[in-house]
Amino acid sequence: MKYLRWVALLAVSVALYFAPGQMKSYGLYITTLWVVYWIAGVGLNLTVGYAGQISLGQGAFLGIGAYTAAVLSKAGVSYLAIFPTAALVCFAIGLLLGFPALRVQHHYLAFATLGFNMLVFLFLRNEEWLTGGTFGLNNIPRPVIFDVRFTRPLDFYHLSFVVLVVMGGVMAWLLRSPWGRAFAALRDNPIRAESVGINTTFYTLMAFAIGAAYGGVAGALFAPLVQFVEPAPFSVANSLSMLLMVIAGGSGRFFGPAVGAVIVVLLPEWLRVAQDWYLAIFGVLIVLMMVWLPGGLLSLPDRLRGRRA
Amino acid sequence: MLNRRAALTLGTALAASAALPVQAADDVLIIDNVELSGPGVTSGSQWKMGVDLAVGEINAAGGILGRKIKIQHLDNQSQAQIAKAVATKAVDEDPYVMLGPIFSGDVNVSMSVTENAEMPIFIGGEAGNLTTQGMKYLFRSSLNQASAMPKLANYLVKSGVKSLAVVWGANDFGKGGRDAMVKEMATRGIALAADISTEPGQMDFSAVVVNASKANADAIFAYMNEEECARFLIALKKLGTDKPVYGETVLVSQKVIELAGPAANGAKGHVGLSVDAPNPLVQEFGRKFEAAYKQKSDHNGIKGYTSVHLVKAVTEKLGKFDRKALAAAIHGGSFSAKTNPGLLMDVSFDEKGDLDRESYLAEVRNGQQVITETLPAVGKK
Repeated sequence: MKYLRWVALLAVSVALYFAPGQMKSYGLYITTLWVVYWIAGVGLNLTVGYAGQISLGQGAFLGIGAYTAAVLSKAGVSYLAIFPTAALVCFAIGLLLGFPALRVQHHYLAFATLGFNMLVFLFLRNEEWLTGGTFGLNNIPRPVIFDVRFTRPLDFYHLSFVVLVVMGGVMAWLLRSPWGRAFAALRDNPIRAESVGINTTFYTLMAFAIGAAYGGVAGALFAPLVQFVEPAPFSVANSLSMLLMVIAGGSGRFFGPAVGAVIVVLLPEWLRVAQDWYLAIFGVLIVLMMVWLPGGLLSLPDRLRGRRA
Repeated sequence: MLNRRAALTLGTALAASAALPVQAADDVLIIDNVELSGPGVTSGSQWKMGVDLAVGEINAAGGILGRKIKIQHLDNQSQAQIAKAVATKAVDEDPYVMLGPIFSGDVNVSMSVTENAEMPIFIGGEAGNLTTQGMKYLFRSSLNQASAMPKLANYLVKSGVKSLAVVWGANDFGKGGRDAMVKEMATRGIALAADISTEPGQMDFSAVVVNASKANADAIFAYMNEEECARFLIALKKLGTDKPVYGETVLVSQKVIELAGPAANGAKGHVGLSVDAPNPLVQEFGRKFEAAYKQKSDHNGIKGYTSVHLVKAVTEKLGKFDRKALAAAIHGGSFSAKTNPGLLMDVSFDEKGDLDRESYLAEVRNGQQVITETLPAVGKK
C-alpha cells in the first residue's frame, strides 16, 4: 500500500511537470500562480495546521519575498542568491512575529499578525526610495540560473514546480522528524508538550519562522511571474485568502494547500463562464463548503467513511 | 427515466453551455480587461456601460467594415496579478484589440503582455508614467495627469489661490496626481500649506478635514477616487468648512455628485470629459447613456464609449483589420468628431499614445455639474 502511494505521488508529479506543456500562455500563467500560492500555503499550513498558531500575516511574507526578489534582481543579483535571501529575511522577521504568539493565542494572535501585515503594507507603500511606493516596481526580470534562462512561461513554470517539489520535500521530511511530532504536540496540548520536555517557546518561534520562509520563497517566484510588484496584493485581504486556502483545502493535511490553492486561484478563473455571477457563485461555494466540510475538501473521504459506518 | 447523477451531469453541461459566449465566425472579438470587482468597481462599471453602449450602436449600424463586434468583459478584480492573467488570456484568444484596464497598476502589468503580442490596448489609466515606458501599442482614452494638472494650476492662479492644502488618495492614481500638481504649484508660486494622504477605501474623513482646515490655506485640492471624494465632501460640509475645494475630473464628476448629494455643491475643478460639456454630441451621448442605464455617465463611461468608436473610426479609415497598421495610424493622428460622431470630440494622439483634446472648467451648482469655461486642446494653443 505504501509502495502504491509513492508510485501515485510520482505519477502525479510527472503529470504536473509535463501536462502544462500543452497549455497556452494563460493556462501556464494561472497554473504557475497556483504553484506559487501552494508554496506559500505549505508554510502557512505548518504555522496554522500543524503547530496550531493562527496567522493573518502570510500575505506580508509573500510581499517581503516579492520585493526582495524585485529589488535584488533589478540590481543584477542572481536568483541563486535571491531565493535563499528571501527565505532568510522572512525567516528572521517571522521569528520576531513569533514572539507575540508566546503571550497570546487564538483571535488575539490573529489581530497581532494582522497588525504586522498592515505595518509591512505601510512600509511597502511609503518607502518609495526602496519599493517604488504606490507606483511599485515594473519590468522585473525572469530568472537566469547557470546560464539557463527561465523567461518563457513554460520554463518559468518548470522552475516554480521544481522549487515546489524541493520545498515540499523539505516540509515532508520536517514533519516526519521529531520536529513534526513536537509541532503536533504544541497544537494539541501545549501544557502536556511542555511537561514531556518539548521546548514550546522554541517550536512556536520556529513554526512562525519556517512558515514565513516559505512565504518568502513563494514571493521570490511571484515577483518574476507577474513582473511587477505593488503593495496591493500583499494586504490583509490576501492574508485572509491564504488562510482560507489552508482551511478550505484541509488544515494540517499535507496536500491541503494544493487543494486550497485550486480553490483560491483556479476556481474563480474556471467560474468565469458564469460571467457577471462568477464571484457570487464562488462566495456561495465557499460558504457551502465551510458549512458541510469544516475540515476542508480533503476531509471529504473521512466524512463519507463516517457516514457509511 | 434519468437517474439523479445523469440529470445532474446533463444540467451542469447545459448550464455551462448556456453561459458560454457565442461568437459567429466573422465577428471581430474585442476583450475588455476591466475592474468589475474590488476597489475599481465604480470606475470599471461605468467604463463597461460606455463600451456596451458603443458596441450596441456600432453593431446595430452594421459593425466595423461589415463585421459585428463580439465584446468579452473580463473582470480583473482590481488586482495586478489577475489583470496580468486577463491580459494573457486576451493574447491567447487573439482579439483585434484589448480595452482597459483603468487602474494604473493593472495597466502596468497588462501592457507588457499586449506589447509583446503587438496588440493595441486602449486604457483608462491616467497616471503619467504609463506613457513614458516606450510602449508602441498603448493608447490613452483621457488626458494624462501631466497634461491636466497645468490646466488646473492655471485656473487656481486665475482664481487668486496662493496657498493650497493637498489631500490625495494613497494609491498610484492619487500619488501620481499629487506629484504632478505639487510640481505645477511650485512653478506658479503656489505654497503647499498641507500635504495630507488618505487611505483608499477610507470611511471617515473628519480628521482629514480638520487638518486641511488648520493649514489655513486659501483653498483645498482633493484628488482621490470617486467614493473617497464623495465622503470627503460630505465631511467638509458636516464640519462646516468654507474653504473652496478644487479637483481634477473626479471631484466634480457625475458619480461624485450623485454620491455626495448636496455636499458636492460649490466644488470646482478641471474636467477632461463631461456629459454636461457644451457639445451637442457629448450631450446626446449623455442622454443615450441615461436612457439605457438610468444613471448619468461620468468620465469613465465616456472613455469606454469613445475607445470603441476610435477603433471603429481608424479601422474603417484603414479599410482593413490590421493591428500594426491600426497602431501606426493612431500615433500622430488627428481624428475629427465631424466625420466620426462616436468620438464625441476632436482628438489627436502623439507618438507615446497620449491624447490631446479640449477640456473644461466646471463647478457643482444645485447638484449639477456646470461647465464654466472651455479650454482648448494644448496643441491648439
